[in-house]
Amino acid sequence: MANDPLTAQGAQRILDRALRDGGLFADVFCECRSTVQMRLQEGAIHEAGFSQNLGAGVRVVVGESAGYAYTEDLTEERLIEAAGRAAAIARLTAEGSVRATRLESLERARDALYDRARTENAAPALLAALLERAEIAARASEPRIVAVNAHVVDELQELWIARSDGSFRFDRRPMVTLGVQCIARAGRERGTGYCADGGRTSLDFFGSTTPEQLAREAARIATVNLDARPAPAGEFETLIGAGGGGVLLHEAVGHGLEGDFNRRGVSLYSGRIGERVASECVTIYDDGNLPEERGSASFDDEGTTCGHTVLVERGILRGYLHDELNARLMGVRSTGNGRRQSFRHLPQPRMCNTYMPPGDVPLDEMIASVRDGIYAKSFAGGQVDIGKGDFVFMIAEGYRIERGRLGAAVKNATIVGNGPDAMTKVTAVGNDARLARRHYTCGKGGQYVPVGVGMPTLKVSAMSLGGTEGA
Amino acid sequence: MREEEARERARRAVEIALAAGASDAEARIVLARRFNAQARGERITKLDASDGRSLSMRLFLDGRKATLAGTHWSDEEIRAGVTSALEQARYVGVDSYAGLPDPCALPDRRLDLYDESIENRDDDERLDDVRNVERSIRATDARIDNSNGSSYHDACVTMALANSRGALGSYRGTQAALSTSPVASEGAYRRTAHYGDASRFLSRLDAPDAVAREAVRRTVAFCGATKPPTQTTAIVFDREVAAALLADLFAACNAANVAVGNSWLAGRIGERVGSDLLEIYDDGTIPGALGSSPFDDEGVPTQRTTVFERGTLRSFLFDTYYARRLGARSTGNASGGGIGPNTFFLAPGKQTPEALVAATARGILVMETIGFATEHASGLYSRGARGIMIRDGELAESIEEFTIAAPFPEILAGIDAVANDLKFDGSIAAPSFRVAEMQVSGSLSAP
Repeated sequence: MANDPLTAQGAQRILDRALRDGGLFADVFCECRSTVQMRLQEGAIHEAGFSQNLGAGVRVVVGESAGYAYTEDLTEERLIEAAGRAAAIARLTAEGSVRATRLESLERARDALYDRARTENAAPALLAALLERAEIAARASEPRIVAVNAHVVDELQELWIARSDGSFRFDRRPMVTLGVQCIARAGRERGTGYCADGGRTSLDFFGSTTPEQLAREAARIATVNLDARPAPAGEFETLIGAGGGGVLLHEAVGHGLEGDFNRRGVSLYSGRIGERVASECVTIYDDGNLPEERGSASFDDEGTTCGHTVLVERGILRGYLHDELNARLMGVRSTGNGRRQSFRHLPQPRMCNTYMPPGDVPLDEMIASVRDGIYAKSFAGGQVDIGKGDFVFMIAEGYRIERGRLGAAVKNATIVGNGPDAMTKVTAVGNDARLARRHYTCGKGGQYVPVGVGMPTLKVSAMSLGGTEGA
Repeated sequence: MREEEARERARRAVEIALAAGASDAEARIVLARRFNAQARGERITKLDASDGRSLSMRLFLDGRKATLAGTHWSDEEIRAGVTSALEQARYVGVDSYAGLPDPCALPDRRLDLYDESIENRDDDERLDDVRNVERSIRATDARIDNSNGSSYHDACVTMALANSRGALGSYRGTQAALSTSPVASEGAYRRTAHYGDASRFLSRLDAPDAVAREAVRRTVAFCGATKPPTQTTAIVFDREVAAALLADLFAACNAANVAVGNSWLAGRIGERVGSDLLEIYDDGTIPGALGSSPFDDEGVPTQRTTVFERGTLRSFLFDTYYARRLGARSTGNASGGGIGPNTFFLAPGKQTPEALVAATARGILVMETIGFATEHASGLYSRGARGIMIRDGELAESIEEFTIAAPFPEILAGIDAVANDLKFDGSIAAPSFRVAEMQVSGSLSAP
C-alpha cells in the first residue's frame, strides 16, 4: 500500500478505547494481503485470479480470555467501534486494568530473512511462463503421464501491529509457491505424484529450483505409484525419509508442545518439562528465523520477535511454543509463535519451522539394517490427537525393504502411531538432515498458516502400516 | 436494508467490470454477522463479534476467465481489482466452455433458511448456552476433569448475486452451532473428543446438555482402549464417520475431478458400483437444511440429483462449466469457484444404529477416523481409526491405534446394512452403515 493505513496516533486512540473497560493487554492487527495466482490444467492456463484482503482486528486480553472484533472498513470510526466490541470481554470478566503505553513510532522490520523491497505482485506473464514450462517438462519426462495440473501463487502480506505495551511494528512478507501434480495411467490403474516448492521469496527462486525439476519429480512419483503394489497391513520397522519426513516431528511432537494445550493441561506433554519423552538420539527445534522458509518471520502475528526454541534435546523435553496470552498465564515469555491466518482470526501458539539436526548414520546403512520393513520416503499429510498423541500420515512415496534391500513401491498407505511411543522407538538418525521443499501448510482450530519442516532419515523400530493386504 | 444494499453493490460491480472491458461478469457479495463465544471452566474465554463483507467476481474476456476476490467495496477499489484481474485474464487459454450460465430467472423459493430468533438473540442467552454445555460435560461423568473449551457460534448471512446476463437475486440464511471438547485423564494421556450440533434454526439445535452428553459418551468410550490385532472384519461406520467417508465419495462424484481423470468413477455412469443399499442424492431444496439454498454460487437453481440409485452410478455433480464440457446440465453445485455439495447424503434404512450393532456377529464400530488424503484417482481409502469391538451383537472393549483400509469400490459393494439415524446437520450427511468386510491393521499378534 502507498500509505500506512494505521498511524501511531490512530492506533493509540483504538487501544485506549479497547482498554477503557478493563483488560490487561490489547493489540490492533492490520493487514493487507494481495495474491495473484494461476492454474494450469489440460495443457492450458485454465484460470487466473487476483485477490486483495484489507482489514484489521482489535483484541482485548484479560487472564485467559480474549475479546475480538474485526472490520474491513478501516475508518477510525469503525475501528473504534470494533475496539468497543472487543472490550465486551473485559466487562464480563471484570478483572485487571492497565492503560495503554504511549506508542513508539512505527518500526519497520529490516533483518535479512527475506526481501521486503518488492511492493507489487509479480507480472502475470511470469506466472504463465512457469506453468507452461512445468507442463512441457512433465509430459516429456514420462510417456504414461495423462494429466498435469500446476498452480503458481505470488503473495504479498503487509502488516501493522500496534500493542498496548507501546510496540508498533510493520513488516512486508512475500510468499511464492509453484506446485505440479501429475497423474500417470495404465489401463484402469492410476498413480498420482505431487511436488511443490517456493517460500518467502520471489518468482526468481524458480531460476535455480526450476519448474522442470519440480515437474519431473512429480512425474517420477506418479509413475512410481502407478507401478506400486497394495501395501501390506501390520507393524513394520520403518524408515522415515529425510526432509518431508519432518511432518512426523510436526504432528507427533510439535503440536503437543503448543502453549495453549499445555497451559490448559490437555496435552500428554503437559507438566513434563525436563522429563525424557524420546530416545536419546532425538533433538527437535522450532525456529522462525530460517531465511526464506515458509514459517519464518521477523516477528510473529502479535509483533513478538520470532525465536529459536529447543523443544526436545537428546530425548529430554525442554520447552513449549508460546504466544503472548499463554506465555503470560504460564509466567514465561512468548517464544514468538503467536500466529494467525488473517485479520479475521485470533492468534494461537503455532509452529514456525520444526526440524531435527543430523545424526551420523548414512542412508544405505540404515536400509541395509532393516530385515522386513517400510521406507516412507515422503508424506502427503498428517494429523494428530493432542491428548493421546496418536497420529496418522499418508505416504506419498513409499517402498518395501526386504532383507536390507529396497523393494517394490507400496500404494498410498497410511501410517498410524503414537507420538511419544514412536519417539522412544527411534533407533537411528541419518546424516542426511535437510529442510523439506517449501510447501507445507498447517491447520489448527480452523486456521491455516504456512510452516516449514526438516529432518534427517529416521529409523523407527515399529510402526503400523494401514495397507489393504493381510499380513 | 442490508439485503438491498448487497444486491445493489453486486449489480454495480458487474457494471464496473463491463465498463472496464470484461465481455461478461458475475459478482457475488456475502455479508455476514458472526458471533463466536467459547467457555472453559467457569469463564467465557473467547468472545468474537464481527460484521464481515466480501466480494467475489468472475470475469470473462472472450472465452478467458479470471477471478477477483477480497474486500474491495468502493467503486474505485472494485475498478482497480477488476483491472488487475483482466490483465491476468489475457494469459488464460481461450476455452469455449467458459462463461456464465444460460439466462434464467433466479427462483424466489421459500426454503425456510432464516431464523429471526438467531438474528435477535440476546448476547446473555448465547453465553448461557455455552456456559451450560461446559458445566454439563463436567457434571455428566466424574472422569471428565478438564476441557478444551465449549463453543457457541451463530451467523446471519446475506448472499447476493448479479451477472451481466441479467441475473439479480439474493437470499438470507442463518446458522447456529454448539460444540464441546471434554477431556478425561487416564494416566499420562488425555482422552478428548469433539462433538457438536448445527442447525439453521435455534429451536432445532440440540440442547446444551444433549450436546454435552454425546460429547462425554464419545470421550470416555475410549478410556482403557487397546490396539487390536491385524484382521479382516465387518466395519460399522458411526454416522459422524460415515459422513466423513461420504465427503471422499463426493470428491469422486465432482465433475471437475471426473473431467481431468482424477476420479475412480470416471467413465462409469450406468455401472453398478455399490450394493443395493447405496442410494445417494444431492439436494439443495430440502426446507430448513444447512445445505439448502434457492440457487448456487453462479445463480443456477438448486435441485435434487440422484447420484447413486440402488448401487448404480446415475450422475456426477456439475457446475455450468463442467456440464458444458461433459455434455450434461448443471446440477446446481457451483460453490465458491468450484463444485461443492448442497446436501449430499446417503438415504437412511429402517433399523436403529443399536439394532444394526446387535445384528453384527463380529466387527468394529468405528467412531472416529483421522487422516484425510484419499487418492481420488485410484479410490483407495485408508484411515487411522478408533472404535469399539462388536462381539455377538454386543459392544465389547474399545480399541484404537489401528487403520481401516479398502478400495472404494469394495467399500460401496460391501455395504450390507444402513441405519435410520440420518440428520441434516451439515452439507454432507449419512446414517450409520455397515461394510461386510475391511482390512484392519493393528498389532502383529493373531486374534
